[in-house]
Amino acid sequence: MALNLMKSCAKLCPKTTTLTPATPVHLRRFQIHFNILNSNNTTSFSPNRTSSFRCATGDNNTPPVSSSGNDGGRELVAMSDEKLLSQCEMDTYKSSGPGGQHRNKRESAVRIKHIPTGIVAQASEDRSQHKNRASALARLRSLLALKVRSTIDLETYTPPPELLQILPAKSTIRGSENGPQIGPNNPKFALGMQALLDLIFAVEGSVSDAAKKLGLSTGALSRLILSDDSLRQAVNEFRASKGMKPLK
Amino acid sequence: MNLSILARASILSSTLTSRTLNRTIPHRPISSSSLSYTPTSPNPKTPLFLRPPIFTATLTDLKKFQTWAQTLASSVGSSFTESDNGPCSEILHRELNWLIQDSVQTPDILSLNSDSKTDAVVKLRAELGDLYLLWKQRIEERRPFQYVVGCEHWRDLVLSVEEGVLIPRPETELMVDLVEGVVKERVGLKRGLWVDLGTGSGAIGIGIGRVLGDEGRVVAVDVSPVAVQVALFNVRRYGLEDKVSVKQGSWFEPLSGLEGQISGLVSNPPYIPSGHISGLQAEVGRHEPILALDGGEDGMSDLLHLCNGAASMLEPGGFFAFETNGEDQCRFLVDHMESVHNNSFCDLKIVPDFAGVQRFVTGFRS
Repeated sequence: MALNLMKSCAKLCPKTTTLTPATPVHLRRFQIHFNILNSNNTTSFSPNRTSSFRCATGDNNTPPVSSSGNDGGRELVAMSDEKLLSQCEMDTYKSSGPGGQHRNKRESAVRIKHIPTGIVAQASEDRSQHKNRASALARLRSLLALKVRSTIDLETYTPPPELLQILPAKSTIRGSENGPQIGPNNPKFALGMQALLDLIFAVEGSVSDAAKKLGLSTGALSRLILSDDSLRQAVNEFRASKGMKPLK
Repeated sequence: MNLSILARASILSSTLTSRTLNRTIPHRPISSSSLSYTPTSPNPKTPLFLRPPIFTATLTDLKKFQTWAQTLASSVGSSFTESDNGPCSEILHRELNWLIQDSVQTPDILSLNSDSKTDAVVKLRAELGDLYLLWKQRIEERRPFQYVVGCEHWRDLVLSVEEGVLIPRPETELMVDLVEGVVKERVGLKRGLWVDLGTGSGAIGIGIGRVLGDEGRVVAVDVSPVAVQVALFNVRRYGLEDKVSVKQGSWFEPLSGLEGQISGLVSNPPYIPSGHISGLQAEVGRHEPILALDGGEDGMSDLLHLCNGAASMLEPGGFFAFETNGEDQCRFLVDHMESVHNNSFCDLKIVPDFAGVQRFVTGFRS
């Protein structure tokens, strides 16, 4: 089994990750709060143990829940490593046999499953398990940004600062206080990407409508979306589900 | 990734040159003796990635080596896995990439794949001929990859290892997390004296040295002179000489006079039952020090010795963590501590590793 997992992993390009579920996950705000208030796990993490937190419904595929002011997705992405890990199940690829001193196989691959959403992230390209754990966690964060949607009210919408930070300077609503534009390699990009996807979902996939809200031309927003592979993929999947043409 | 490893290596080597490399063999070309792998040298060997890039080869010749080595790795197929659960071709290919990362100054040049640059000269940290030899040792003699390159990536450390010293395992990385969790809750322990018994490369001791407070100290003990030298090398490389001291001796021997004063005791002692040694994967059984693996008939000899020592050496409230062979040994230890040392220990726990094997026993001195 370990071998198969490694094989399937090696076939993917370094940045890719196994994803479940395929559709965006919606979370109830109170569920997230529930976890934070009850999170007394202050140690670094519990290996291979399920955290005490579960979805209140016990079902990871609950239908989308709309509640105004829901920013549960943002909280997840902005959460500290410790808190996020306390919601996760983590294991290396299960290897047969006793492990430990018996083995020298450099099985340093790490797999992290976020229990509330069922999203799985893994990393195996580094030589140390420790670093693979950090990469898997960073990947989990970016997957949460891509997959967990919060509803927004278009009537009263103003883009949050983390979204303004990833916009190009020519945006008419972006002030100099937002600093230089943050690119996809910056860890803060995930939060901006998440807010952007929330907006694009709210405008039913229309890039021109989203661009208006952001003070950008349609072309400029398209270029931003296309600058990150995972962002482009998420937007195009959503557009495809609405019968729209993919951005190229 | 390749670059960050090399960058880190070069930072470390440049900042620590005067202290560490001068005492080894910084600028001497690698002679055939440095490729031999009997644990004889009183001075630890410098890991490949820390050696100066004083050799050269043309890109064409380097690519020839790569193709040859890939073919050799592919020829293994699943034969090692079938015979003794050893590595398959795929893992060997990954190791080959790491060997190239460690030995070529600009490894990316191989992936650029521009034919116009075939006579470009590439700088190497070992002679090309030695790379052939090293890869042959890896495949034909099943010499562990970590001994081939002279290091193991463990947690956020890159530790020097060589024949005669156990290669630290990924499972053991968790020991440091366990200690980190404990000292966060019990701040007093952070300032105390910690002991890593059977330190080997120094991995756990160095890991703990980095999570303790300024006043915290670690004594890393090993009976093997090779291990003591390698652990010292690693301690110095991370600039922890003032915090982690390395002592030679058997288990508690070098700690006499410290009874009841130790805040934390950790160990990954030999725990494999003697009868299992001959069936071990070739990389382990043929090349790693049996002293660090064989735990006696039931694998428990050293673990029991450590338990008994913990009762007398730990201060009240002191913490211990031992790595074991798995669930049976964990349960045996807990039973032993509860029955034989009743009231000496409290809060005994069995903690699983990342693969879900019940791996560690932890607890506190009452």
